[in-house]
Amino acid sequence: MNTVVGALRRNTELGLMLMAGILTAGAYTLAGLGRSASLPANLVPFLLVILGLLAVAHVATRRLAPSADGILLPLAGLLNGVGYVFIARLDSDLAALQALWTALGVGAFVATLALVRRARDIERLRYTFALIGIGLLLMPLLPGIGQNINGARLWVRIGSVTFQPGELAKIALAVFFASYLVEKQPLLAMGTRKVIGVWLPNVRHIGPIILAWAFSLIVMFFEKDLGSSLLFFALFITMLWVATARNFYLGIGLFMFAAGALIAWSTFAHVKTRISILTDPWSVANGAGYQTVQALFAFAAGGLTGTNIGQGNPQRIPAVSTDFIFAAIGEELGLLGTAAVLMAFLLMVGAGLRIAMRVEPPFEKLLAAGLTAIIGLQTFIILGGVTRLIPLTGITLPFVSYGGSSLISNYILLALLLRISADDHARVQAQAQVMA
Amino acid sequence: MPDSLLTILKLCFLALLYLFFLRVLRAVWAEMSPRATAPTPAAPVASPARGWGGANRGGGNAKTAGGRLRVIEPAETKGQTYDLGEELTVGRAGGCQITLDDTYVSQLHARVFRRDGQLFVEDLGSTNGTYLNRKKVTAPIAIRKGDRLQIGKTVMEMQ
Repeated sequence: MNTVVGALRRNTELGLMLMAGILTAGAYTLAGLGRSASLPANLVPFLLVILGLLAVAHVATRRLAPSADGILLPLAGLLNGVGYVFIARLDSDLAALQALWTALGVGAFVATLALVRRARDIERLRYTFALIGIGLLLMPLLPGIGQNINGARLWVRIGSVTFQPGELAKIALAVFFASYLVEKQPLLAMGTRKVIGVWLPNVRHIGPIILAWAFSLIVMFFEKDLGSSLLFFALFITMLWVATARNFYLGIGLFMFAAGALIAWSTFAHVKTRISILTDPWSVANGAGYQTVQALFAFAAGGLTGTNIGQGNPQRIPAVSTDFIFAAIGEELGLLGTAAVLMAFLLMVGAGLRIAMRVEPPFEKLLAAGLTAIIGLQTFIILGGVTRLIPLTGITLPFVSYGGSSLISNYILLALLLRISADDHARVQAQAQVMA
Repeated sequence: MPDSLLTILKLCFLALLYLFFLRVLRAVWAEMSPRATAPTPAAPVASPARGWGGANRGGGNAKTAGGRLRVIEPAETKGQTYDLGEELTVGRAGGCQITLDDTYVSQLHARVFRRDGQLFVEDLGSTNGTYLNRKKVTAPIAIRKGDRLQIGKTVMEMQ
């Protein structure tokens, strides 16, 4: 359906995408000038590849979801592009791979838009998605294919390909939560007994929360992945809260989180270390707190506008191209650069929530809210960790960090959000026609 | 290349970056402002919460003087209409003018009444609330043509 609003949105998108492409190429040029005082030799082919990838995503949206929201894709493209420039500046081997992941990510974006023609089609597959999600999440625990990398067991190696199944699991679980909660919403929203002035839902209906909680504890205990564990539990509680509009669930979620955190704190030495790094990184600045302290130095060195891309020393921060890429941006583009990254995420979350508010069918509404929550929570968890606001838990910064699994799954997430947005617009149009 | 030139280029890059956000914000603004978005003026049903019904609000009083509530959800009672007189109560109790057999509806749930020719809806302390255009009704609020009133599982449209 090609409509006036759709055409407007696509033209907005085209303009913004072009600008995102130019900005990426500009950052790439700056990086080249900063490092070797000469223009990068492959600037023109680089620009063409970037614009090509953005064009593919844009044309696919034009064809497959013409009336979808017009700002999500350019924002993701900008974050992806700026992230790529920093990865290329930090490690050229990773950059070649990241280019491949970006291409695969855009491919996954197009494929998702092409396969999921209506968001409600995936509602019926809820248990398939639940199985896929749980299977993916537990996959790293399987002996033989599970891999321990940096002390966390969240990687899977099949043949020569390694990937992080948890990244895809978050989308599958968001789909499952959405359809499950839509079905159970009336039961969960209703109180059956009053205890200390609060209507409590039937114990039977709290079961799933306990299950989700236990599940995220399993992930934390056996995969030692605090970030994902927190993300899953927070996602579930957020969606439950959105579905029922009852603050009670936020309270109980917070309480259970506190309980889980206490268990983790008393059981795991590495959790204790994380907390002590948060409260005082300086006493272990050359040991456990090295990464955090170096990141803080990087932010400080960056000042307001940064040292310029290629002229700082972010390489000394461990894991700088994945979890700590925000610190590299802070050092070389300063406060203004990091604020820009935050603003991009803020605008993405805003656009996602606007889609969720506008959509009427409950499943689509809840799914849009859940997918948006994933982006927001994940960004908060890692950026809070990097800037020493909350304990550090390793997780990727969506679209910016190096990582194939992360990039591909975030593009799939984006495609689903755009699909929901396009669905909604089609529905509004249909209603308007009926009325006219 | 002198550092000062690099710094200037860097500042240009940052400026362009913020220009990008400015354009994104402008696009968002253009969508949010009602006149740019409304595909047709007849779309109040699609998004009543944002007040797109502005066009048919002004002179609506004369028409709503009679006023009817038409059930649009659930499917079982769809199409049923209730004429609005001076006052009308909604609830599960048999004595209400609109009796809804729905466990989410309180015995005496809400009332719609007329004051100075204008219709108002008021929640009568119900357990699950009354919603006008998906906003919870906390105090008597004017109800106009095209507005949607939700009580329990039932959604009614003002006509």
